Amino acid sequence: MTINAPLPDADVIIIGCGPAGMTAAVELAEAGRSVIVLDMQPTPGGQIFRNLEANLCDTSLAGQSLLAALGPAYRAGADLIQRFKACSSIDYRPQTTVWEVRPDGTVGWLQGMNAGYVRGRQVLLAHGAMERPVPFPGWTLPGVMTAGAVQTLLKAGHLKPRGNIVLAGTGPLLLLLANQLHQLGVKPALVGRTDRLSDNVRAARHLRPDGLIPLVKGLGWLGRLKLAGVKSVTGLENLAAHGAQSVESVSFTVGGKRRTLPCDLLIVHDGIVPAIDIPNAAGLRLQWDGPNASWRPATTPDGLGASTLPPEMSAEPCVLRITGDARKIGGADAAMAHGRVAAQAILAALDHGAGPSAEALRAVGKALSVRPFLDAAFPPGLAQALPDDDTIVCRCEELTAGDLRAKIRSGFRNMDALRGETRCGMGPCQGRSCMVTAARLLQDETRAADCPPTFRGRPPIRPIPLGAVAALSGLDPRATIRLTLEDKPENASEDTVDAPAE
Amino acid sequence: MNDPATCFSLSTASASEAAGHSPSPQPGSKMFSALAPITDAVTLFLDGQPITASAGDTVAVCLLRAGVSYNRLMPVSGAPRLPYCMIGHCFECLVEIDGIGNRQACLTPVRDGMKVRRQAGAPPALEPSAP
Ligand code: FES
Ligand code: FES
Repeated sequence: MTINAPLPDADVIIIGCGPAGMTAAVELAEAGRSVIVLDMQPTPGGQIFRNLEANLCDTSLAGQSLLAALGPAYRAGADLIQRFKACSSIDYRPQTTVWEVRPDGTVGWLQGMNAGYVRGRQVLLAHGAMERPVPFPGWTLPGVMTAGAVQTLLKAGHLKPRGNIVLAGTGPLLLLLANQLHQLGVKPALVGRTDRLSDNVRAARHLRPDGLIPLVKGLGWLGRLKLAGVKSVTGLENLAAHGAQSVESVSFTVGGKRRTLPCDLLIVHDGIVPAIDIPNAAGLRLQWDGPNASWRPATTPDGLGASTLPPEMSAEPCVLRITGDARKIGGADAAMAHGRVAAQAILAALDHGAGPSAEALRAVGKALSVRPFLDAAFPPGLAQALPDDDTIVCRCEELTAGDLRAKIRSGFRNMDALRGETRCGMGPCQGRSCMVTAARLLQDETRAADCPPTFRGRPPIRPIPLGAVAALSGLDPRATIRLTLEDKPENASEDTVDAPAE
Repeated sequence: MNDPATCFSLSTASASEAAGHSPSPQPGSKMFSALAPITDAVTLFLDGQPITASAGDTVAVCLLRAGVSYNRLMPVSGAPRLPYCMIGHCFECLVEIDGIGNRQACLTPVRDGMKVRRQAGAPPALEPSAP
């Protein structure tokens, strides 16, 4: 008896419902393809357009001033969200986490207490970015948060920070947030930038005409903060947060002088990097992006990923594509442009069509053309120097850089050995916050030329309750055939056993 | 201060008592203020105390609005933690929700009658046995 492989549940499964995922979903649905969109959040928009629909409907004074503060770049998502919601054929599944993705197009999902597998003939990873993890003394204290977290609290929690607020780090998001806070009547005590004027000047040679708009925007933010009398420094180094049960003060060095400020909330940001949890666990090839000190998936221009396995070892061809910030940091416009390219490439793979149009590819190039300038103007700052021995690297397991260095010196010289020995990367976040620092420490200690590979990712990459595992839907019927155990001598008396049936 | 390992393993009932904080959430937050009053109020229970939130808020927003000083104490050292990334990456926001531990508060919307407990260090099964 032969049991066939399960039929696909959809032509395309898209993971993530931000600008890239929504654009691709609309494009594919309009071409008549069946699409399932899985997303962790309750409403479409991703982090950039988080809670936009609800905020647009809020006609109260507070709601209007929030919208004004969040600015036109936030409202710009309204049209896309509307088009996405108007496509009734899209099977949109909010509040759904993904805990496994396989190169053959199988996706493990969890929604509430239900879990299962769905299969797509093609899968598009549009799960976005994360803020670069930045270990510094005190970064685990309550009262230290990322800039993205504070923005999420504004957009989806309608909370604004108060008290002594210090923003530290680099990148457009830090300045944007400082401006948004100022518009909401919150005056930060300090905006401390790690970038220096020299970075900004050197970056100027990367300027392309398309980069002028973001540049003018950025200068506008700086000018407004200055007018508002917000104190600002550049070239900040050696940031530390101090306090017993929460942050009470921060200290840092500027121009060789150590300074200390009282602080209730320290907002940090060191740029954003592609979230690699899903591609890594799916066995996709990652590459180290030196200037950005981060990994990114290796893809073709239209987003096709590559398995780490040699072709003769992978049973089926890889059907995973990666788009948006999950592929390459570029912001919302670049994500939408690439979402379109990826959708056109998927249509071609399904129908043997023509593939991405020259115009769609050009739009990606145009949207990304400002990146070299931004990368040079805002190089990684807080995360640039490796942490001191006393600084916690693995937040979940409370392991310091010194703990890891000692183990590396005693012979644990690859990532998985280091993880097995120390538990670094085995906490609830599964290395999302510590993996990159552990890898850089390993590179530094072993004087390796390149940054080492990641921890090997294994499903489930997000927690899934046992009860949900027990009732998994969508299992492959081939996994339920009777397995023979003849090759195991201890089972000689018993020649078959039932594998778990669905 | 006591050795955190013994100090925090004493109580499974209330994280707040173990940490020597007042068991009820403090009124208002020193870190955040609300842009608008609560709308569409739902009531949930935080360590047994009723607390209101706007429908559509996540549990993490509700905790920060209330001004709790932590949502969990670390299983290793007992140090307090609050949400850090708010988008599901860092897993610092873990709380017990309706009897199930280690749920991400920043990904879980509030629901009327929901029972949220802050987590006090390691779960009982992992506690070191008493001397
Ligand atoms: S920070 Fe290391 S496992 Fe979470
Ligand atoms: S606050 Fe980071 S996962 Fe919830």
